[in-house]
Amino acid sequence: MPKAGAPVPDATTLRGPRRQACLSLRAQPTASLRGAVATALGVELPVAPCTHRRAGERALHWLGPDEWLATAPAGTEDALQAALRAALTGHFAVTDVSGAWRSFNLAGPRAIEVLRKSSPCDFHPRAFAPGRCVQTVFAKATALIACNADGDFDVITRTSYADYLRHWLEVATLEHPASP
Amino acid sequence: MLEIHCPYCGESRSEEEFSYAGEAHIRRPSDPAGLDDRAWGDYLHFRSNPRGAHRELWFHAAGCRRYLNVLRDTASYQISQTYRVGESPEDV
Repeated sequence: MPKAGAPVPDATTLRGPRRQACLSLRAQPTASLRGAVATALGVELPVAPCTHRRAGERALHWLGPDEWLATAPAGTEDALQAALRAALTGHFAVTDVSGAWRSFNLAGPRAIEVLRKSSPCDFHPRAFAPGRCVQTVFAKATALIACNADGDFDVITRTSYADYLRHWLEVATLEHPASP
Repeated sequence: MLEIHCPYCGESRSEEEFSYAGEAHIRRPSDPAGLDDRAWGDYLHFRSNPRGAHRELWFHAAGCRRYLNVLRDTASYQISQTYRVGESPEDV
């Protein structure tokens, strides 16, 4: 444990749980879908498994071969849903699931250790580079974990797990806390 | 603990993420009303339970939430192949 009041050079910063605008998108990944999503959201549709794309505050996460999760700042869900519905054609489903998800953010050079002690997934940078996202078991709960371009991690979990995971993550970052 | 390759995620994941969903490739009879009780009972309740190669259905519960087929040896637990629902194993 670091001494009280001493600065921690490799501190892990934990933020959240935070409510975001979350939309579930179900459709076949056709070229027309990719074009429509890029127009409506300004984010390219990630079609490669276990990847996510981000543009500013908006992101799209691959959840399955025909399923994605869009995240954006809270309060924008209605506008985004309207934009998607206007742009998409054919057989699709867009559902506002903002109430179902809460987001955490872990940053710092040792944030990866927090992930490693929480999940059996491989978080080595070789396997989990920026742009990757995985859905997995996390501290006996489940979570979607995304690695961002600057090396920090988003941990997106069910709202009902959010309080529990906040406690878990606080304890898991005790070895290298942001504010000792 | 098994490592199971998910054909949808394209990577191997811990067994913890999956749940077992029974024997694979069991086709629902096209005309259930035309079956006698024995044939319907066989379809509903009776499975092959082999020692050796077994075609199984698994569910990637904590991952992409898709069903997948697994060809697993019930004696050695070795998984020789996983493939998507609707596909058939190459060598069986």
